[in-house]
Amino acid sequence: MEIVVCVKPVPESETRLRVSADGTSLDPEAVKFVLAGYDESAVEQALLLKESLPGSKVHAVSFGPAPRTEEVLRAAIALGCDQATWVEAPPGPAPDPVATGRALARPIFAMPHDLVLCGKQAGDDEAGLVAAVLGELLGVPDVGFVVDLRFDVPSGRLRFRRATEGGLELWEAPTPCVIGLQQAWNDPRTAKLPAILKSRRVAIAKVPYAPEDSSAPRSVAEKFELPPPRTGAAMIEYKTPAEAAAKLVRVLREEAKVFP
Amino acid sequence: MTPTVLVVGESSGGRLAGASLEAAGTARRLAAGDGEVVGFLAGAGTGAAAAEFARYGVGRVRVVDDARFDAAPAAATAHAAAAAADAVGAKWVVLAGTTFGRDLLGRLATRWNAAAASGVTEVAGDAEGLTVRRPVFGGRATETRRLVGDRAAVALRPHAFPSPAEVPVALAIEAVGAPDIPAALFGPKRTAVETAGAGSGPGLADAAIVVSGGRGLRAPENFRLIDELAASLGAAVGASRAVTDAGWRPASLQVGQTGRAVSPQLYIAVGISGAIQHLVGMVSSRVIVAINSDASAPIFKVADYGIAGDLFEIVPALTAEVRRVRGI
Ligand SMILES: Cc1cc2nc3c(=O)[nH]c(=O)nc-3n(C[C@H](O)[C@H](O)[C@H](O)COP(=O)(O)OP(=O)(O)OC[C@H]3O[C@@H](n4cnc5c(N)ncnc54)[C@H](O)[C@@H]3O)c2cc1C
Ligand SMILES: Nc1ncnc2c1ncn2[C@@H]1O[C@H](COP(=O)(O)O)[C@@H](O)[C@H]1O
Repeated sequence: MEIVVCVKPVPESETRLRVSADGTSLDPEAVKFVLAGYDESAVEQALLLKESLPGSKVHAVSFGPAPRTEEVLRAAIALGCDQATWVEAPPGPAPDPVATGRALARPIFAMPHDLVLCGKQAGDDEAGLVAAVLGELLGVPDVGFVVDLRFDVPSGRLRFRRATEGGLELWEAPTPCVIGLQQAWNDPRTAKLPAILKSRRVAIAKVPYAPEDSSAPRSVAEKFELPPPRTGAAMIEYKTPAEAAAKLVRVLREEAKVFP
Repeated sequence: MTPTVLVVGESSGGRLAGASLEAAGTARRLAAGDGEVVGFLAGAGTGAAAAEFARYGVGRVRVVDDARFDAAPAAATAHAAAAAADAVGAKWVVLAGTTFGRDLLGRLATRWNAAAASGVTEVAGDAEGLTVRRPVFGGRATETRRLVGDRAAVALRPHAFPSPAEVPVALAIEAVGAPDIPAALFGPKRTAVETAGAGSGPGLADAAIVVSGGRGLRAPENFRLIDELAASLGAAVGASRAVTDAGWRPASLQVGQTGRAVSPQLYIAVGISGAIQHLVGMVSSRVIVAINSDASAPIFKVADYGIAGDLFEIVPALTAEVRRVRGI
């Protein structure tokens, strides 16, 4: 199976967020970028499929500026992806998720793709849009919020579960298909040192970014705000547990107005 | 002039999802003035859902009565919704940001050539288009985005908008056939639903109240204290990774970076220290309550209200108080 996995560099989750000078985005200065959390699951899933289906290949694709995008592609290779393609974005604020999907769709369309794996959503913009954009542009179906993906060889269909508000749903799908992955069967593996060293020498295919024409509908970031520092909880003073409970219920009711 | 707004409804078990009502209310607000709101539904037996649209002020409802949509991915509905938006001359599309709505939005935006934003907690419209606010980075920041161009589609974060008041209007159903949709989009099929267990209350992702337990509960059998408090509140149960890793509760209940992100009206964290990986999954909740015996636990830094105390004493007292006040 020819598997494409889309990986995005995002700030490490412990990163202290700071607002850029113009107030419209995250200040990337001094931020450490890593493979997005759900994308780690997507890579793990791609590698599990590859291991179970002899002759499979995994191609990692990423869209973004230097140097972080190249770094996450090398991380994907160190984990076991066979090939990598980098759509190089100009520095500065990223195009919106729909434009990102368009930028990724062009090279993916040109490569063999039985299965395209994305994360459910990227940990920074949390848009959850790219998988569906890719599906539309590649002319294949897409399903998001997927956990535990498998390929059933006899029927030639993908089988997976989907985590929804109502619980877990069982699904099956033909290939080619785009999947937005929430969780793989296994916890993501970590790369071994020799593989990390080797990944530095692997050639990464570079594809230029062709921006949308400027009249295309798009979303433009206007403001990026951090919440006022939380002042810490108002602590409930009490002598007995019953008093604590009564006071809490009262403030939730009268002050916070969230009591059902 | 306010434009026509299409609100894409989601029906589950024949009823309109609660989050779709929030979308209907928001669509009506955006169309206030001389705009019109048109409801949209695809699937078999959507009559009751259409009637509910009308009960909340959306009388004109376009319906594609076609059972193929019921077990198909949101992609198929997105194509039908794009056709409906064109047919009624809509400029804005509003929908609920449920798992279904989130899958639908990217497809719709691409197909219908619209600017899009998901996870929206505030939206305003003017002659130039829509402006939205949405939490990003797990609720650790908020961004404002302007949707530029003559078409925009937004998915609203469940619970971020009020449920509208009833304003019954006459229902006028426009039944139309499905547009020409590529057969591939009906390829994936839902074959079964494993519900989280009958009677287990609301799902984690769309519950208005979430009660989560952590390692402070000490042993799996003690987790029933969380179940009981949640039941008294009509809340969903969540857990820290310490709990799901230990196998006390299934991984599907894990809140945090590697679990689910939730943003209920009220989040109650019991015996949870407040590690950053847990916080990113719940800080965007509207009101946070923490119960922890360690007054210096980091969870108190993000909580609105805190009780420093032994959960084995506080939680049963709280459950009893909630039951008393709610008369149950
Ligand atoms: C890559 C990565 C991803 C992760 N993802 C997640 C994630 O998605 N979700 C998540 O939750 N964690 C995640 N973690 C783990 C996280 O770092 C913490 O280890 C975890 O959240 C701790 O769970 P806890 O708060 O239940 O346990 P602890 O940190 O052990 O806290 C237990 C708390 O209970 C309190 N307590 C003890 N006894 C009582 C009592 N009698 N009454 C009241 N309070 C009491 C203690 O004071 C303490 O604060 C992740 C970690 C990593 C490295
Ligand atoms: N710039 C990017 N490069 C590669 N993949 C991306 C990029 N942006 C998003 N994706 C993929 O799409 C998923 C969803 O991203 P988003 O729609 O931005 O929340 C991510 O988890 C990635 O798999």
